[in-house]
Amino acid sequence: MQTDDLISLMSMDDRPVDTGWLRRATWLAAFAALAATAGLVLLTLGTRPDLASAWTTLPVIAKAAFGASIAAIALVLFQNSLRPGLKPARLLPFIALPLLAAAGWALLTLAQAPAEQWQALIFGRYWRGCLIAVPLYALLPLVVLLLLARRGAPVDRSLTGACAGLASAGLATIAYSLHCPDDTAPFLATWYTIATAIMTALGALILPRFLRW
Amino acid sequence: MQIPPCEQAQDVSLQELETQLRPLFLAALAGDAAAYRLFLDAISVRLRGYLSQMLARAGRTEVSEAEDVLQETLLALHLSRHTYDAASPVTAWAHAIARYKLVDHLRRSGRHAGALPLDDEAHRLAGPEESAAADARFDLSRALDALPERTRRLIDQVKLQGASVADAATAAGMTETAAKVAIHRGLRAMAQFLSKRRRQS
Repeated sequence: MQTDDLISLMSMDDRPVDTGWLRRATWLAAFAALAATAGLVLLTLGTRPDLASAWTTLPVIAKAAFGASIAAIALVLFQNSLRPGLKPARLLPFIALPLLAAAGWALLTLAQAPAEQWQALIFGRYWRGCLIAVPLYALLPLVVLLLLARRGAPVDRSLTGACAGLASAGLATIAYSLHCPDDTAPFLATWYTIATAIMTALGALILPRFLRW
Repeated sequence: MQIPPCEQAQDVSLQELETQLRPLFLAALAGDAAAYRLFLDAISVRLRGYLSQMLARAGRTEVSEAEDVLQETLLALHLSRHTYDAASPVTAWAHAIARYKLVDHLRRSGRHAGALPLDDEAHRLAGPEESAAADARFDLSRALDALPERTRRLIDQVKLQGASVADAATAAGMTETAAKVAIHRGLRAMAQFLSKRRRQS
């Protein structure tokens, strides 16, 4: 087949192309995945017993805001990474903002507390639960984002994978904050950050092999 | 900042290329087939120059090889039109896709991509034009052979016998829209065939 034939064949398609679809689909998929993940948390773990009174308190809001800001930044990067010619890697440092904010808050809390309380502040009651639950619940949004990424054209597949991992951890953090009974800043900054790092590494390592095109 | 004259000239011609291609591609996205044809003709000349230049640097001088990668790149451009961001240069978009396909091709054919001095500069597209189409090897023809009979016949009629989509559709007993969808699916299947074969080898 000659290149010219191929061009004739391709230029017969006069159906309009929607370049906004990918952006809309990303946000829609993220919201759907968040709703499904939250539903899954409620079904499997249930809410924390005091959610009705606690959901307006700073720690619960902070957990959700932490997850939401990571997810939002990662989703913008993710969506851009599916479009060749944009250089989303330059925006990657923005992800550090919520992480640094949480870390700063945690250090401030520790500095104001006596040293013998540090261990309780950091480990809380259920640090293992957080470390296992967040990555586990994040698998659902991760798969949703993987399916979406296959509809795009990721030229840097590791970056796309890392952003999908980050975003899925952020979404799972919001969902798990309905259950997580540990409310200290050092807990948030330690275990949620580690869980986020786990998902980012997982996404960057595993997803590229499913994203070849 | 001092820019060396040579690079400056290339930047200028890349800008000219962008000014020429962008309106065509935007019209193509809106459904203008003639503009799309002009865009594909212009970009394929540039991409052929870019790809053969880069392949030559990697020690590959066979023209049929560059034509193979070009065809695969064009197919990828076509199937990824929805990933173009209207706020970004269309030359950067096309260059990024060509670069991805080139790196993939080199990796697949056994040469480590690290050996190729791939620079990120899209202005390579503004380099030498190459309008002489070489014969591709058999890659795309083989992909065509792997299509279902009905789709292949449709493509054959349009491509070889120069029939219009409407005529080919009538001959196949389908509507024009259905024929367009079938051709689009055929192109997608050909692209999938190429990337699957790559994974196996």
